[in-house]
Amino acid sequence: MAREKKRWGLTIVGTVVALVFLFPYLIMLVGAFKPRREILQVPPAYLPDNWEPGNFLTMWDTPETPLPFNLLSTVVISLGGTALALLAALPAAYYTARHRFRLRLPFLLLVLVTQMLQPTVLASGLFREFVELGINDTWLAMILVNAAFNLSFAVWIMHSFFASVPNEIEEAAWLDGCSKGQSLRRIMLPLVWPGIVTAVIFTFIACWNEFAASLILLPTDVNQPLTVALTRFIGQYESAWQYVFAVSIIGILPVVALFALIEKHLVSGLTAGGVK
Amino acid sequence: MRRVIKAAAVATVAALGLAACGSESGGEGGKTELDLLVPIYSDKTKPYWENLVKAFQEENSDIQVNLEVQSWDNIYTVLDNKIQNQAAPDILELDAAGPAYGSEDLLYEAEEIVSPETLADIEPTFIDSAKIDGVAYGLPTVASTRALFYNKDLLTQAGVTAPPKTWDELMAAARKISDLGGGVHGYGMPLGSEEAQAETSIFAYGAGASWESDGKMTIDTPEAREALTFMKEMIDAGVTQPDPGATDRTPLLDVFIQGKIGMIQGLPPIVGQINEKNPDLNWDIAPSPTPDGEPSTLGVADYFVGFDKGEEKQEAISKFLDFFYQQDNYLEFNENEGFIPATKSGAEAAADKPELQVFLETLPDAKFYPATNPAWGATSGAFKDLVGQIQSKPVDDVLAQIQAKADAPA
Amino acid sequence: MTAPTTARRSRNQALRRRARRQTTLHALPWLAPALILIGGVVLFPVGYMIYTSFRDLTRFGTDRGWAGWENYERVLDLGHLPRVLVNTGVWVVGVVALSIGFGLVLAQFLNKRFPGRKILRMVVIVPWAASVVMTSTIFVYGLDPFYGIINKFLVDVGILDAPFGFLKSPLPGFLSAMAVAVFVSVPFTTFVLLAGLQTVPHDVLEAAQIDGANRTQTYWRVVFPMLRGALAVATIINVINVFNNLPILKTMTGAIPGYDADTTTSLMFKIIQSDRQIDTASALSVLNFVVVVVVIGIYLRVVRPMRQED
Repeated sequence: MAREKKRWGLTIVGTVVALVFLFPYLIMLVGAFKPRREILQVPPAYLPDNWEPGNFLTMWDTPETPLPFNLLSTVVISLGGTALALLAALPAAYYTARHRFRLRLPFLLLVLVTQMLQPTVLASGLFREFVELGINDTWLAMILVNAAFNLSFAVWIMHSFFASVPNEIEEAAWLDGCSKGQSLRRIMLPLVWPGIVTAVIFTFIACWNEFAASLILLPTDVNQPLTVALTRFIGQYESAWQYVFAVSIIGILPVVALFALIEKHLVSGLTAGGVK
Repeated sequence: MRRVIKAAAVATVAALGLAACGSESGGEGGKTELDLLVPIYSDKTKPYWENLVKAFQEENSDIQVNLEVQSWDNIYTVLDNKIQNQAAPDILELDAAGPAYGSEDLLYEAEEIVSPETLADIEPTFIDSAKIDGVAYGLPTVASTRALFYNKDLLTQAGVTAPPKTWDELMAAARKISDLGGGVHGYGMPLGSEEAQAETSIFAYGAGASWESDGKMTIDTPEAREALTFMKEMIDAGVTQPDPGATDRTPLLDVFIQGKIGMIQGLPPIVGQINEKNPDLNWDIAPSPTPDGEPSTLGVADYFVGFDKGEEKQEAISKFLDFFYQQDNYLEFNENEGFIPATKSGAEAAADKPELQVFLETLPDAKFYPATNPAWGATSGAFKDLVGQIQSKPVDDVLAQIQAKADAPA
Repeated sequence: MTAPTTARRSRNQALRRRARRQTTLHALPWLAPALILIGGVVLFPVGYMIYTSFRDLTRFGTDRGWAGWENYERVLDLGHLPRVLVNTGVWVVGVVALSIGFGLVLAQFLNKRFPGRKILRMVVIVPWAASVVMTSTIFVYGLDPFYGIINKFLVDVGILDAPFGFLKSPLPGFLSAMAVAVFVSVPFTTFVLLAGLQTVPHDVLEAAQIDGANRTQTYWRVVFPMLRGALAVATIINVINVFNNLPILKTMTGAIPGYDADTTTSLMFKIIQSDRQIDTASALSVLNFVVVVVVIGIYLRVVRPMRQED
């Protein structure tokens, strides 16, 4: 009984926490429902006088940007980038965590170093590189960029989880005749799900919100992701803030949906039994 | 080194089995391709160019125009990168920084990329203000001057009968309006990084300053000191909005449109914005106040330039620009964006528009940025980053700091 | 007698060396995809940036040739550099420390079972999912003294007497930007730590309780040490991300004149955008890069997050 009450107490605390994390986005949401002339009203109003849900419909068909294509671009680039980063990072993370070899630490540091650079200054070199390769202005270019520049965090996140699995577990698997590949698939992966899920979320979000390289590498509007498309609502003297806000809200939803899908895997195979 | 890297990169792509999606390289069927890069003025900009390009290609099936539109925020980043990597657009629209590329021999001369008839129709003022060593590289697209927008109701309430002509009158009027209270401020002074060089230039030009003399930047001058000192006096007297040093132009104009600011300097497109966002506002326009009422203000124009990449594209560029300057196409562009046309025929057509009157009248006395000087870009940047400090620092220090940036080797 | 021993020893050494070489060779197929991706995509732009930092570019971006160390000298000569360096230190240490602190608390909270936990986990991810530019823009919009809703709210509930220009002067502007940086870093930190908490075996906790440890003791003596790996990863990634973060400062304090609210990253942006010196900016980012490498290097040496495996 007391325990039950305590749990609801936590829910109340949780609600407060939720409000803190949501309030900027509530402002954004309300702004997305305001008609153009109310957005910069002085003094401001908390809620619009005239609700304009139409912003969420009309934004798909504005002269400024082909939004459906931009959403598609973001989805393709993010899924592609995440998949590629994961494919490259997973074996590296596993091997470096489970095996000693001379170049292990240098490798991990090299991977980390790639992440330490400001994307704004690298965009220029990337542009030249992809022009030479002839894949400038393609999704492929951005998939490669996103995968390469998020690889290191994926490696490090997963590495730390692989490293936390006791050696005995895997040795037992080898004794049972599992190959390295099999033990990775059947034993290790389920144990490090939380790490993989964290890496997936991390990489996906980083790809989803990438701006600096996309701006330079993707000049054609239908190829551009949402982040670049958004800037086209910003005019010289006035901006269509209602669309900027509405598009931003739409941009958040798929990430939250993805998270909802894989959230349950944040609970590890190691402790899944113990929790209940 | 580069070849090795290229080989490695090719290997990456091949290894990933993704190489099938290469891009088509230009020139299918002997078409001339033109890369066109333009900035966004408003929500009408992109559709305008899309329609124009379509109409142009229908008439000229041998030319393909690749349109890229970027916000003013991003266009310099995108352009810098293209130029650094020898991938400049064929045609670029930009502010007066565009013709400045002529100093590096990157551009066609104006007469090479447009027909003599079109060239003859353009107001010489705009061409001349963007010449380098007597050579014109830029073709003006839109033009404007600054003028003082004022809220008639606030002026009346404060007992100001006519818009201020001199600085003393400006100070007095701003003080009376600020004294009304209720969140109302006399004069809107945007010295935030967005466009501080414009606000500063309006006052400095009024005081007779010139930012350039004999090819050198002249920032720290008695005239400029007089202007900045007056601006600082206004700030110290509390007749501006709070924190002018960190206030950007666009948001402040919105505050004026909402009726909370008595007077602010603005451009013709503001007219359309007021009509859209707050048609009830009772406003009018007057020439910018100067120390003694002598007419003077800041003029600006944006330009088309053509990049000479050794590809012999003058003819195609010229066809496109002539098409743009055709009366209907050109007027529609200026009408959309609310600017003053820079052609003689266009100005005649626009002369009967009441909202453009004051701007057209002040045009002869307008002074432009010395934008073709290679040091102007950095000077303008220094104004944006530093001039707002007059709110808290001595005027002399701030001017010296900007002068130092202007003199820094490129 | 001694000769064979020496021989055996050297043979052992050779064997061991060969074994090590073999494991490095064995490692290759596992590391190859990552190495190819890095070599193919990242190497060139990094090299290009370093190259640019030694070139003399005009303000229009054309290359005038070799510049030696001139660009680096110009960076080190900047009068406001000391102030910017102090800001950078405060920015990185402050934001990362606060993010880790809040992250630890929030992870612990989200690890408890209560009604609505799943929804709360989804809510917490929102600031991470949203683009940083947009989150900063919303704060700029909300904190505006004229039309800002946050300012209006603070006045309406009586915390402020009149709207305050949060983003109008260096100190409040910088602190507001730090607050936003913490706000967007906490979700990621929380989830790395939450995932780390999952790998603490339940029986270890039970054992600690049986041994009579109270909750605080259990946390600091049992749980916290097991979070070491996750904590290290969260710290390293946060340091790198916070150090390189441009959008927050550019959006929130970009309008403030002077360099009192700048970090090395936002200064680099101003050198490109305002001073039009791409070469100097490249030199500054190379220096930036060296600083991060050194900071992370020191961190790895001192904290030794990989000690358990070494």
